Amino acid sequence: MTPDFTFCTVQYDSGDWDSAPLVPANLIDSVARYTAITVAPTGVIVPLSSRDLFKYPLAYLTGHLPVRFSDLERRTLREYCARGGMLFVDDHNHDIDGVFHKTATEEIGRAVAPLKELPNSDPLYGSFFRFDDGPPATSHELNGWGDNLVHKQLMAVKTNDRISVLYSSKDYSSEWGFHPDNKRFLSIDNTKFGVNIVVYALTR
Amino acid sequence: MVDASYPVGGERMNVQERVERARRRLRAAEIATGILEALAVAGAVFVAMAMVDALLTLPLVIRMTAPPLAVIAAVARLSQRLARRRTGANAEDVALWIEARFPALRYALVTAVDPEYAGRVPEIEHNAGLVAFEPEVSRAAWRAVARPLIAVAIAASVLFLLPKGTVARVATARTGDALVALSLGRRTGNPLEPVVVYVAPPPYAAIATTVLDDPASVHAFVGSIITIDGRSVDDSTSTVVASVGSHDERITTSSGRWRLVFAMPVTTTAVRLRAGVHERLLVVEPIIDSIPIVTLTLPARDTIYRHPSGTVRLAADLSDDLGLASGTFEYIISSGSGENFTFKSGTMGATTFNGKVGALAVIFRLDSLSLQPGDILHLRAVARDRNNISGPGIGASETRTLRVARADEYDSVDVAAAPPPEPEKNALSQRMILLMTEALEKRRPKLNRSSLLGESQSIAAEQTRLRKRVGQIIFARLGEDNGAEESDSQLKPLNADSLLAAAARANTAKTGTEQEQQGDETPVVAINKPLLTAYNHMWQAATFLELGEPGAAVPWMKKALDALQVARAAERIYLRGKSRAVVVDVERARLQGKDKGSPALRTPRETLDPTRAARLTRFDAALKLALTMPSAAADSLLLLRMELIGRDDTASRDLETAANAIRSGKNATSALIRARRTLVGGVEHRNAIAPWGTIP
Repeated sequence: MTPDFTFCTVQYDSGDWDSAPLVPANLIDSVARYTAITVAPTGVIVPLSSRDLFKYPLAYLTGHLPVRFSDLERRTLREYCARGGMLFVDDHNHDIDGVFHKTATEEIGRAVAPLKELPNSDPLYGSFFRFDDGPPATSHELNGWGDNLVHKQLMAVKTNDRISVLYSSKDYSSEWGFHPDNKRFLSIDNTKFGVNIVVYALTR
Repeated sequence: MVDASYPVGGERMNVQERVERARRRLRAAEIATGILEALAVAGAVFVAMAMVDALLTLPLVIRMTAPPLAVIAAVARLSQRLARRRTGANAEDVALWIEARFPALRYALVTAVDPEYAGRVPEIEHNAGLVAFEPEVSRAAWRAVARPLIAVAIAASVLFLLPKGTVARVATARTGDALVALSLGRRTGNPLEPVVVYVAPPPYAAIATTVLDDPASVHAFVGSIITIDGRSVDDSTSTVVASVGSHDERITTSSGRWRLVFAMPVTTTAVRLRAGVHERLLVVEPIIDSIPIVTLTLPARDTIYRHPSGTVRLAADLSDDLGLASGTFEYIISSGSGENFTFKSGTMGATTFNGKVGALAVIFRLDSLSLQPGDILHLRAVARDRNNISGPGIGASETRTLRVARADEYDSVDVAAAPPPEPEKNALSQRMILLMTEALEKRRPKLNRSSLLGESQSIAAEQTRLRKRVGQIIFARLGEDNGAEESDSQLKPLNADSLLAAAARANTAKTGTEQEQQGDETPVVAINKPLLTAYNHMWQAATFLELGEPGAAVPWMKKALDALQVARAAERIYLRGKSRAVVVDVERARLQGKDKGSPALRTPRETLDPTRAARLTRFDAALKLALTMPSAAADSLLLLRMELIGRDDTASRDLETAANAIRSGKNATSALIRARRTLVGGVEHRNAIAPWGTIP
């Protein structure tokens, strides 16, 4: 049976796209743990320049290093968003003065559209679990790492009233970067917001 | 002596001089007639064009043909007149012309001017000189000039009597002259028709001002100064007011004109003009100033340096649609790994430009950047255009990365802990079995048949066990069940050929996109072929051992051992940079979460068809107004067009064409048909349909 959802990690030519290898497994586990969505047990890695990207409604992109898309990557991303895909970009540096933030936001602006602040009342925060205060804070933010800020909002590009690019400076890549078997040691599962992202991408 | 001279104009002339004087007068009259006729023809062309324009409002392109057409007609008439050989060509012709009007001369005048008889017969010249033909010559000259002179006067009178500006519309036709003079068909009390729009691009664009006659929409660079001129009417209820978007704008009035001036906004905006009961809409659309195009030509590709030394040459080509302002190379040096990165950035080779194209070139020493092993140098070229209104537009090239290798980076290979490779363990066992067999063969002369057979079959069992273990490795690498040999052996004999066939199947199987299958695989056969050979030879050896023939088994066993050695020496391939994929036990985790989701209720989005239907309804409503209130119909179409800009460019263009046609009183049928067809939507061709999600 073809699963409803396969987690897709985006591989881009520049930067360390594979800096958070455990996030896919963790979110796959969470999707299975909380929803009835049939999910593939492993994720896939798809080059941003490949049209295979169009097979996946949600794509995850992260890294620490400067992000520079090639023309083909830019075109593919633009078409991906126009076709209804959702790209979730997370700054693994958790630093708005960092090079990932500066270059990734610039590239997203060139490829799709400039990012804007996403209101905390957006349907994303109620697509499965309710997050009345907006995006959950990460331990990295609360510990004052990176830019020493607790970001109150995420940023997004909306296409036809739907999020086509979701951008986070909160470093969920570090927050969710643990083996899913260790989830049992957490009193509160911090990956639930990831379920919201997946459900939103599949249902909007 | 006969005096042949005759007093003419206070001086005495002989008959030849009088005829020459008559010839010159007639020739002058001929030329004057030609010129006057040419003027009359040119005037007639202007009169005809002006009258037709006054009645039908000719397009600018036809009106602009009036002056050259008039000149061509005049020159043609003058050439025709001068080329025609008539009176005044020479003295004989003039003499004959005079003789025809004075028969009493009896050819005396012709004879007198004939060079052969001139001066030789004074009596004839005397008689010819007695006739005063000069008054008749003068009358004839005036008669010839009078007719075209009257024609010129009539043409001039008509041109003078035509309504003011009518002649100017054809004599000096130019873009933007809609307000200079109005055709009769457009002389209404509506001060909003026609209008002339002047578009002055921002200074940085260095583009001349353009003039548009009565446009429905205006395309201009952001920041352009848009000037809309109209004709004031003497009616206090027709004062013009204007709004650009949601802002009211001030209208100035002078010399019978009203004028609206505003700066081009950054978004498509409707300019609404009102004057009493009249209303008009003008859509202004911004032209986006393209960002510079930057191509990094050197370095040509990403590179890894063993030592960060030497020179690096950078080169980039830049271009912009309006003009470049500056360009530079930017670099970022990232150091560190894992979660700890530090960055350093800077620029080099900053250059200013004046033209639309430019080039950047820099040579720098890697040593100057103090790069350390593991550092990555990111390089790109950046250009800025001269846009000081909405910019500057910044264009950047692709980024090249130059990495400095770490001394220990080959230790970072992710190699999972594993037991010793199977082929080596098998080889030892095979060597032991071979030694046992050789020893049995040495003892063979001392053994009876039953003992030999028993020991030989015992070794054969060991050989078979070893063969099965090799088979397990082969089957595991072929991606089939480990127990395939056992299950298959019940059904059909297994040999090297069938295993090669299985290997081929595994090689040609369609590879998926699963994470664990992403890496490049060395072809299965290339890896397994020595093992397959060993497997086959072991089979043969075991067969001989089962028959109690250890000597015959030894060569096969040696071949099997050699094959295992080859397999042992095979190249090992370690995949770099690929972490082991975590396979989630989805079924174990299924719905084990302590929390339950409570998705918020969703508001269904508006489907596509109602939107399209709503647009069609508006289009049809505008269509109904086209005959009775064309201006309102054009405004409605323009408003509809504004909604479609950026969403449906084809429909947007068709609606603009239709609105322009309606506004200028032309036949808009074909444009309206095209626009409606586009709005209804036909069969849409797509390369492929997305396998999931909504139809965009």
